[in-house]
Amino acid sequence: MPLPPVRIGIMFSSTGPYDVVARSMLGGARLAVEQVNAAADLPIVLDPIELNPGGVPDAYRTGADRLLRSGVRHVVGCYTSSSRKEVIPYFEKHDGLLWYPSHYEGFETSSNVVYTGAVPNQHLIPLVEHLLRHHGSRAFCVGSNYIWAWESNRVLRENLLRRGGSVHAERYCAVGETDFDQIIAAILDTMPSFVFNTLIGTSAYAFLREFRRACRERGIDQAATIPVASCTLSEPELEAIGVEAVDGHLTSSVYFSSIASAANARFVEAYEAAYPDGPAACADAEASFVAVWLLARALAEAGTQDVNAVRAAATRQKIAAPQGRVWLDPETLHAYLTPRIGRSNANRRFDILSEAADPVRPDPYLVWNSQRLGAPDAAQLRLVS
Amino acid sequence: MSSGRLIQNLRGGRALIVAEQDAATAALVATLGRLGITPLHVQSSAEELDPARLDPERDILMVDGDLGAGLTWPLSPLAQLPPAPVVGLVGIEAPSQLRQLMALGATAFLRKPVHHGSIYSALFLCVNEYQRRISLERQLQELQHRRGKRRFVIKAVLDIMHRRGSDDDTAYDLLRRESMRARQSLEDYCEAYVLQSAATKGDKAEPAASPGGGGSDDRDAATTGRKPA
Repeated sequence: MPLPPVRIGIMFSSTGPYDVVARSMLGGARLAVEQVNAAADLPIVLDPIELNPGGVPDAYRTGADRLLRSGVRHVVGCYTSSSRKEVIPYFEKHDGLLWYPSHYEGFETSSNVVYTGAVPNQHLIPLVEHLLRHHGSRAFCVGSNYIWAWESNRVLRENLLRRGGSVHAERYCAVGETDFDQIIAAILDTMPSFVFNTLIGTSAYAFLREFRRACRERGIDQAATIPVASCTLSEPELEAIGVEAVDGHLTSSVYFSSIASAANARFVEAYEAAYPDGPAACADAEASFVAVWLLARALAEAGTQDVNAVRAAATRQKIAAPQGRVWLDPETLHAYLTPRIGRSNANRRFDILSEAADPVRPDPYLVWNSQRLGAPDAAQLRLVS
Repeated sequence: MSSGRLIQNLRGGRALIVAEQDAATAALVATLGRLGITPLHVQSSAEELDPARLDPERDILMVDGDLGAGLTWPLSPLAQLPPAPVVGLVGIEAPSQLRQLMALGATAFLRKPVHHGSIYSALFLCVNEYQRRISLERQLQELQHRRGKRRFVIKAVLDIMHRRGSDDDTAYDLLRRESMRARQSLEDYCEAYVLQSAATKGDKAEPAASPGGGGSDDRDAATTGRKPA
């Protein structure tokens, strides 16, 4: 018996400090809702309730609480880890399910969250492999001063040191910082094999522009000599960098809009038709699209909104996603995804340089991808006379 | 634990859970599996808890404080180390319950019902605090060992002052330098010096600066690190 229309929450900060990517995610989710509701072979109708917390932590809490108290059991949403951490207690208290569609730093598994974005063994570790193979082993890390950068740099450092590489420096600056003169001077002083970039938003765009300009002034071909690599830079952000410095940056991601497949062609065409003014489709938009489809198929199979039933049904689905096959690891509720390395081009898209042969099992705690002991801190030398 | 490196990956570990199998510990079992740890529910009388069968590098003991007294194991005399790292599962937060878990050597607590989001932190704290105590225990043992040999230092200083007519600072500096060259603690070096000095007494050979054997053979003593004869 088909379910009556199922009310679901869609919670993205389409205004506020990270609105560009969040609007892209909202676009991916809306598109999937439309397709689900139009799909003749899927006996399910989704009735989305959209909520915009505006990037304000408190608004996430009150929004999630209101949705869950009104009887909504399933919410697709959140971009930042801090917003996810804000709402998880409410999902656990009211026994709801948060469908979290963004890449993040891992080290979390809640039974009340389904994670459709990539974790470090699916983006950062493949990036380290690529950098070591093609660019060298001397890193210079630049990041925004918060958990994403700290944890990403930790994983990078451990992997590089274990393979005989080195990290020249880890420089952090405040979120929103746009003055990079000193950091760029330090980079050009040390001439690393690559820069690992965990800056976010406007800081990242300003750094990429300034670094490219400084290299050009010194006659250095920046993209070829000291490429900037990250796990975050995505298509909507390339537009914000500007034509001068848009090309030649490396990104590790499970999705690029330039993937050549029928499923992706259909997704990109539908997405661009729906949002001709942007922002462009990106990995987190695809993860949002996949999250809604996964939810819809699980609801259809479970025949109920009940969280236990839907969660169990979700682990039995295989989605033919724009990036390829996607399914959930029943143990961690994180998704099997296909790592890829892309290099940005002048058309504000990514050329795909390499991709994994098969979807990679998620390892949110890096249980299978790290050593028992962490990397040593700075050398501890004792003074002897 | 060497140079402050922390254990961050517990893959291959075994958690011996001394608690009822109920909803309060259901999340524990699920999350341990995700961390690559094999959970095993055991009775407090189980032979798996025999200290001789526990491996502190592999095993983690998770003990429910609500089970009451009865469970016990020997703690090491210096640092009060249990046979493997212990996480206390806390239901009733009464001081008597918490004290009992401390007496079992718990280095971390997990509040019941156990919440997914707190398990890794508790395990991280538990095993690394355990390692830190092992390291402190070794340092204590070393210090006690050296303290026991203080009298040899005094005797060696006096002997050199007597033989060379130097003051105590000069004698001490000489012994310290020679012990570093021999890659020994000052105390071990002085003990060897005093024993050799006693053996050579009467034949007028001076062992100072060369208890490692042969006054000009410093380099040899340093590179082999061998103990004085």
